[in-house]
Parts: sequence; C-alpha cells; structure tokens
Amino acid sequence: MTARRTPFHAAVTGLGLVTAAGVGTKATWHAVTEDPVPRGVRYQEELADLPCDFFYTIDDLDTAAVLGVATQRMMDRFSQLAVIAAREAMADAGLDAGTWDAGRVAVVIGSAHGGLPFYDQQHVAMAARGARRVSPKLAPLTVINSAASSICMDIGAQGPSLGVATACSSGTVALGTAHQLLRTGACDIAIAGGAESALSRLLVASACQMKATSTRRDNPSAACRPFDAERDGFVIGEGAGLLVMERPEHASARGATVRARVSGYGASNDAFSAVAPDPDGHGIEQALRLAMADADVEAGDVGHVSAHGTSTVVNDLIEATMLRRVLGDHPLVTSTKAMTGHTLGAAGGIEAALTVLALERQLVPPTANLEVPDPRIPIEIVRGEARPGTFDCAVKTSLGFGGHNAALVLTRG
Amino acid sequence: MNAAEVVKSLLVQRFGIPSAHLNAETPLRSLRLDSLALEELRVLLEEQLDIDLEEVSLTPRNTVGQLVAAVDGVAA
Repeated sequence: MTARRTPFHAAVTGLGLVTAAGVGTKATWHAVTEDPVPRGVRYQEELADLPCDFFYTIDDLDTAAVLGVATQRMMDRFSQLAVIAAREAMADAGLDAGTWDAGRVAVVIGSAHGGLPFYDQQHVAMAARGARRVSPKLAPLTVINSAASSICMDIGAQGPSLGVATACSSGTVALGTAHQLLRTGACDIAIAGGAESALSRLLVASACQMKATSTRRDNPSAACRPFDAERDGFVIGEGAGLLVMERPEHASARGATVRARVSGYGASNDAFSAVAPDPDGHGIEQALRLAMADADVEAGDVGHVSAHGTSTVVNDLIEATMLRRVLGDHPLVTSTKAMTGHTLGAAGGIEAALTVLALERQLVPPTANLEVPDPRIPIEIVRGEARPGTFDCAVKTSLGFGGHNAALVLTRG
Repeated sequence: MNAAEVVKSLLVQRFGIPSAHLNAETPLRSLRLDSLALEELRVLLEEQLDIDLEEVSLTPRNTVGQLVAAVDGVAA
C-alpha cells in the first residue's frame, strides 16, 4: 500500500561545491559544461604499483589557508571539504548565522568512508611505532558523522544533525533525509549533501582486488567513461557537494531566491548482494518510482536525468535499461563522473547540485569521455557538448554497495 | 632545537597558535588548547624529542611557561 501525500517542495536556496572539476560552484559548473576532458585525475604516489594508481583530486585548494590550522586539525579531509562547501552554500543562500534560529537548522551529510585516511595513518603509526604513538583523535576524526558535526561547529547550527552512510548513495540519501526532516517540521533550514576524501592505499588496493576500478593506467583522463563501449570500471575522486534546503514558507518569508526545489524522494534496498546491483534493476526502479510518486510527476514530466553512471560495465547497463523502462527515451540523460571522478558518498550531493544548475540554466552537461556508446544501452546519452533543453523536472539516481538505492525529483524554482 | 623551541614550534605549526600569543604566563586554555589537544601534543613531543612524558601532568589550567618547564625537566 502506498500512502499518497501532497508533495512537499523543499526550496533550494544555496549550493556549495568543491570537486576535482573545480573549487566552487561556478568553477565546477564551468568545467563540467565546457571542458572536453577532466583535468583533476592523475597518478598518485600513494597508489604506486596498484592496477588503478590514479585518482581525482582537488587542485588549487589550500585547506589550511581557508580554514586555519586550529580549525583544520580537528577534521580529516572529507570534513574539511564539507565545511568549505557549507560556507559557500551558506553565502550563496544569503544566510547569516548571526540572525537565524540556530535550533531550527539541521545538518545531514553523507559519506561512505569518512576519515578512512586518518584511520589508515594511525594504524600505520601503531604497527610501526607502537600504541603510545597513536593519536588521541582517531574517533572524532574518522566517524562518518564528523563532517556533519564539523559543519555544525563551524556555522553554529544547533538543530538535528547526522551522518548518513549508504555507500555510494549516501549523498542522495542525505538530501532525501533532509527533505523528510523539513517536511515533518523538525527544522526550517537543512544543510545537506555528501563529502568524501578516501585517497587511501588500503581502500584502493581492495577496490582493485574487487576488479571494480578502471585499469587504464596509460591514460587516466580517459579512464572514467560512463556508458561507453570501452568502459572498464570507476575511478575514485574526492569532493563535497551541499545544498541549502528550506521549508518553502521560510524561504519566501526571508525573500530568498529559490534556485530549484527538491520535490520528491524515494529509497529502497535490493536485498540481493553486498556489492552487485540487482541484475534487473528492480531496486533502483522502485526508488525512482517512489520519488516520482512522492513528487506527483509522471514519466513524461521528467526532462533530465543525472544518472549514477559510474563507468562500471554492470552499473551503467542496468541503470540505463531501468531508465528506459521507467521514463522512456525522451529525457536528456548524463553522468558527470568523468569530470569529478566517482566521489562515492559525496556523489549524490555533487550531482544534485549540478542538477539544480541544469534546471536553472536549462542546460545538460555532456558525459565526458563518452565516444562510442555501448550499443546495449537503450537510451541516448548527452555527449560531445552541453545540450540545451526545456524541462521543469529532473531526477537524480544513486546506487550504493549494500543495495542502497535512492532517487530525488528536482523541479524548477 | 631545544625543548622549549620544539614546544613552541609545534603549537604554531600543528595547533595554529600565533607565536605572538605564546607568552610564558598565558594559560593553555586561553589558547583553546583543551585536554584532547594536550594529549595530542604529548604524542607529538614524545615522538619528536624521543622522551617519555607519561608521568607529566598536562592540563589546560597550566601556562605556556609551565608546559615548557615540564617538558624541559624530562628532556634535560
């Protein structure tokens, strides 16, 4: 039985992005819509000799200069990126921490691996130099929720706050959770999205053993190629993408510009496998149908899809087949992961922010590196250059290890 | 570097405290050094100076001067 409710349109009033495509929303959007090839992906010393020895990192960002050493020392890098993105999103929304009701501000941040790099470093310290050389900061820096708590401390948000961990759908689930918190009236403002920085030899070594990552070592910038016939796996990246979301009456009372709306959310679990998606895509289909029902939109209303599109052989085929089944072949479908890398728990936050921009600009970024579309994929994917369109409604889909599926419906502001 | 210089350099570089604030009589807590920060500092000092500070009591109520003296006492 499905409980039908009146749709709740959360107002999106601010965006914050820190990605391998660019520092800041403007730089990231410019790169994903204009640049023909990614620039942030390259060989990493940390990954030397692994089958996948490259990674998408953020250039031109001095976190110590932005945050200060005293603030930065209580955060692992994923939290630092989250705080930098949160500051941008707050400024974009025109929010002033001095004037708001702090207890009505929620923070919900998704991450798959949290402070894994710090965990890894401290394990090395203990193994090499003993227990007395281990930092006392392991728990506060590595827990998944530390991005959320770091943002709360930085901006003085005192409402409900939590980390969300559903692997690679964490960012999307965080936004959906924020939508629900706003809808119930638990808060007036929610700062939500995802953050990840898992440049860890341990993690990437394991992902290589799983045969999940691309091994195109001779040309890393061409390695992530969603929906392409020659794709051979994902490439991990770091980044953060956050939205400021508000109850609609709160946004209108303060005269905020509404950039878009989060109008529906759906989630499901495959209950099938620890890693592999349901081969028929039933789980992600259910999440998408739930999100569309939540927003009260039909397939014909959806003009743009920001796909999960990881560049693995299996994900892209299952997802595209599901999109064709649920939506038909008319939406402009893209994956921006070739420009940002697969930022795991941050992906949904980054891609939802880009979807807000696509709705605003009526422009869909191309899927970089998509040269020869896989003939088994039954939908046309935007490639080559950004495609103008006319659409009032877009969807964002995400799948995560553990079978965690999520979908959002976004509409024009 | 002697012990005092190591303490001051760690406070500046790892804890972001401006060197101008490192006066002998300044309480550590007014530099936003809480008990967790002092335990972190203990690990860094032990590593860098190859000393054992296990028996040294470090609290945010101490001043910079008391901290330096305590480390100096062990390092000497």
